[in-house]
Amino acid sequence: MIKDIDKFLSDLEKGELETADGLPHSQMYSQLLAIYLFQNELCYAKYLWKRIPINIKNSCSDVRSIWTVAQKMWQRDWPAVHIALNVEWNKNVADIMNALKERIRERAIILISEAYSSLDITTLAKMIGLSPEESRKIAIEKGWHVVGTIIKPHKIYKQQTSSTVEAITEEQLYKLTQFVSFLEN
Amino acid sequence: MASALEQFVNNVRALTAEENFRELSSVLTKFNDVLKKNVQHLDNVLETLDLQQHSIGILAVLCAKFSDFNFVSVTMEVFKPLFNQVQEFIVGCNGEQVRLVPDMYAELCHHFTDALVEVKMPIRGIDLLCRAIRKIQLYDSQLTSIHGDLCKLCLLAKCFKPALEFLDIDITGISTDDDAKYFLLYFYYGGMIYTALKNYERALYFFEVCVMTPATAVSHIMLEAYKKYILVSLILNGKIILLPNYTSNLVKRHIKRLSIPYQELATAYSTNSCDDVQEIIEKYQEVFVRDNNIGLVKQVLSFLYKKNIQRLTNTFLTLSLSDVAARVKLPGPADAEQYILNMIEDGEIFATINQKDGMVIFHDDPEKYDSPRMLAKLEKEMAECAELGKKVLEMEEEVIVTPQYVRKACGQNDPDDQAAGPPPTNVSNAQSQPKHNTYTM
Amino acid sequence: MFSFAQQNAVEPMQVDAPAEDNDNTEEEPYIVENPTLDLEVYANSYAGLAKLFRLMYIADHCPTLRIEALKMAITYVMTTYNVSLYLILHKKLAQALSAPGLPDVAAQSTSQDIPIVDQIWVDSRSKKAALKLEKFDTDLKNYKSNSIKESIRRGHDDLGDHYLDCGDLGNALKCYSRARDYCTSGKHVVNMCWNVLKVSIYLQNWTHVISYVTKAQNTPDFPDVHGKDNNLAIVTKLKIAAGLAELATRKYKSAAKLFLQASLDHCDFPEILSPGNIALYGGLCALATFDRHELQKQVIFSSSFKLFLELEPQLRDIIFKFYESKYASCLKLLDEIKDNILLDMYIAPHVNTLYLQIRNRALIQYFSPYLSADMRRMATAFNRTVSALEDELMQLILDGQIQARIDSHNKILYAKDVDQRSTTFEKSISLGKEYRRRTRMLILRAAILKHQIQVKSPQRETTQGGEMPVAPGNTSQTSRN
Repeated sequence: MIKDIDKFLSDLEKGELETADGLPHSQMYSQLLAIYLFQNELCYAKYLWKRIPINIKNSCSDVRSIWTVAQKMWQRDWPAVHIALNVEWNKNVADIMNALKERIRERAIILISEAYSSLDITTLAKMIGLSPEESRKIAIEKGWHVVGTIIKPHKIYKQQTSSTVEAITEEQLYKLTQFVSFLEN
Repeated sequence: MASALEQFVNNVRALTAEENFRELSSVLTKFNDVLKKNVQHLDNVLETLDLQQHSIGILAVLCAKFSDFNFVSVTMEVFKPLFNQVQEFIVGCNGEQVRLVPDMYAELCHHFTDALVEVKMPIRGIDLLCRAIRKIQLYDSQLTSIHGDLCKLCLLAKCFKPALEFLDIDITGISTDDDAKYFLLYFYYGGMIYTALKNYERALYFFEVCVMTPATAVSHIMLEAYKKYILVSLILNGKIILLPNYTSNLVKRHIKRLSIPYQELATAYSTNSCDDVQEIIEKYQEVFVRDNNIGLVKQVLSFLYKKNIQRLTNTFLTLSLSDVAARVKLPGPADAEQYILNMIEDGEIFATINQKDGMVIFHDDPEKYDSPRMLAKLEKEMAECAELGKKVLEMEEEVIVTPQYVRKACGQNDPDDQAAGPPPTNVSNAQSQPKHNTYTM
Repeated sequence: MFSFAQQNAVEPMQVDAPAEDNDNTEEEPYIVENPTLDLEVYANSYAGLAKLFRLMYIADHCPTLRIEALKMAITYVMTTYNVSLYLILHKKLAQALSAPGLPDVAAQSTSQDIPIVDQIWVDSRSKKAALKLEKFDTDLKNYKSNSIKESIRRGHDDLGDHYLDCGDLGNALKCYSRARDYCTSGKHVVNMCWNVLKVSIYLQNWTHVISYVTKAQNTPDFPDVHGKDNNLAIVTKLKIAAGLAELATRKYKSAAKLFLQASLDHCDFPEILSPGNIALYGGLCALATFDRHELQKQVIFSSSFKLFLELEPQLRDIIFKFYESKYASCLKLLDEIKDNILLDMYIAPHVNTLYLQIRNRALIQYFSPYLSADMRRMATAFNRTVSALEDELMQLILDGQIQARIDSHNKILYAKDVDQRSTTFEKSISLGKEYRRRTRMLILRAAILKHQIQVKSPQRETTQGGEMPVAPGNTSQTSRN
């Protein structure tokens, strides 16, 4: 499901528009909402929530708990996002929500590495939603300096998928050669 | 009565068989009243016609059915049969034929849209209207008057993605002449969709199109678009971007007078004082609520906080979090930290927070413009520019070879021309011509 | 012909009048407490309405000098035909004397010193003025019936002079501008312009002033209308008038340039300004707007302006201190003269702006040679606390006047090194973006024009359909965030 998420998403979106008579069922909405969150498309999530029929909002607890996550993500209240994510998810959204959990933690770690030159371990723990001990472990894993309760992160550069980079560079090298030979002649 | 309908069917069949569609469409207008008077028999008429073969005839019948349909407090159940007929028609009709009667085709879609709005099921029409547009368009970047309907349904359904497929394409041609209302509506609704999705740049462009549309009167759509134009402009640029100088003078003259609360908001914004802006918001609360702009107005305020933080990054190398809070008037250092954190993640500022000392260190943009990624981006943008430039040249060539242009350019004043006033195409050519100069960089 | 000329003269004023009014009402009322002005000497440098207006300005803004100034004004106004002003001044004086909290000295002398309205003078003056008016009027009519252009022109001028003497500025302006149609030489035109200029300055109608300066300068054979010497006098007059207008409309730099072109030997028009004023206006505006090089070349080394500066030694010191980068003492001297300048009717509204600009210029020049500067030392050099200085610097950086960044932690100001390569990239990217946006709009607009998309005035019946279509779609905007 996660691997082919774009395809899955467009199927769901199509499904929503094409549902002919019977109202679209709650599973579709909760999955759609979860995927939007996973892709960090908060605007789409917000308006999806607004168009979900009221009876589904009332009857489906999944939709409601996913929406709680969405709200916290919208406010970027990191600690609250982690708390909201720590629920037992139904089977049909569990995959996406667990992947989301991982993704949020990754995002938080990257942000911390960019935004802080030093921070308290409790801040770190709250932002990545782990206990202080676990957080310390992660910090050490990343090679950050840990002095007492103060952590000094290093920057993590977002890696680009290497294959596309190479593909670009080869073409570009060709162009650059052309530029240079043009300039020299 | 029935014989009149029979006559209609016969006409449709005969003329379709002859492929004399021009004649057919003129005949149809004559039958308009007949159809409207015999609504109860129209379903029988439909059965005698073939969807592919007699698309134009069916279209006329469906339009007549709508004109009789009473929308007020109708439920989906009542509307359902007609809905299905329209659906069947749009999916199955012959594109070449309906393209000969674009106005009638658009009329059907307008009716259809109105009905869905009335039965409060806008989402059900989105997919169909997408198909309807694709069917009638000659090319992707052609604007039809159905575009506006689609955007309207998407807005009401709060489901924007399908509209984006169309909105993201830059319009280069228009299918109907002289139809300002649907033109304005498309750009107004489109601007609203982009605003809702926080694509403010594109939203500004759409609202600007609305306001710069040639006009001999200020339409309400223009005025509402201008109000939103001001707000989005503040969010994006911190000030009102001047309207292009080809905006009609009449619009320029009146529109300011009609949007005073918004002008005052902009003035307050220019002082960079959140308190001043807040004051204006309270002063005109009612107006903003009535205009349904209060949400956007609040966004303007929150962007001012961001802008003020950005100003700090331009002036300071280091600053304590409490100083940041004091200077941008946030309640406390924790709020400042939150704002800065969010802005760093969005790439709006470059800074690091030192939680130990409670300091922020601001950096320059680390972009060095030396990565392959940047080179690729530059190349892509250059190609886009070249493509656009080429398009303009093509258009210019097209204009240059028109007889009217040649006559004008050679300075030969045709006496006929003057007597009858310049022909309409001539006007458009003459006006589009000097613009090339203003645009070449 | 006659009515046309009249219209011509009045109309531009009417259009402009509200705007100027707005400018004046913007001024906040303020009070000057401790001026060190010798009122007697001050008043003697002016004549005519200039003297009266200036004394009244002082009376309005300085309680300590109020009574003295009003009395002086009353004495002077009795030499003119300006009866209405005489009455106004008396009313003001009576108010000032009855106001509580008077200085003791004045209170003692009130009993014998209150000038009472001299009703006999008022009556006889009014009568005389009316007689004079009638005489000029009949003269003018006679001239007109004889249609001798030169006499008509003089007749208008005489009438204008008389109105001016009575303080009726509106009529004076009309008469002077009517003379325009009877000018037979360049000299007359220039003369007419100057008359109009004078009145316009009294009326503070600055757009009018500018247009008449241009008119005078564009007079054919303007340079050799008068003798060489006389010409310099006219040029100086026009420069000063234009300078005043530029000052009043906040164009300080061009005001400075105009004042700097005045020639002291030809600076004799006490009905407008004193030479000391020119030194002050020119000097302050130059300090506020000139860069170091301009200041050196056009002010300090200017032989003609040097003579003006001799009249205002304090100002001369200020300019030299500024040039020698002794900012602390320069700013201190500026503060010392501030009270007196605030009593000058033309420059007072601009004092704060000019002072701020001078200060900013000082800050910019102070920092210009450095890569980094200790803000604590800078603060002492400018008589400020470090945090106040930080605020000032922040504003300057934001305005782009100083290319620097503040290290608030260590209180150091660092010059910003600009990476040309990156900024060029940045600029070209944003330019490219703008180009694409505009070109797309151009293509769209071409389509609009081709298809004659145009919003038309609604016919009454169809207003609903064509003009009110936004209702339903709007709802989705209500709640956001």
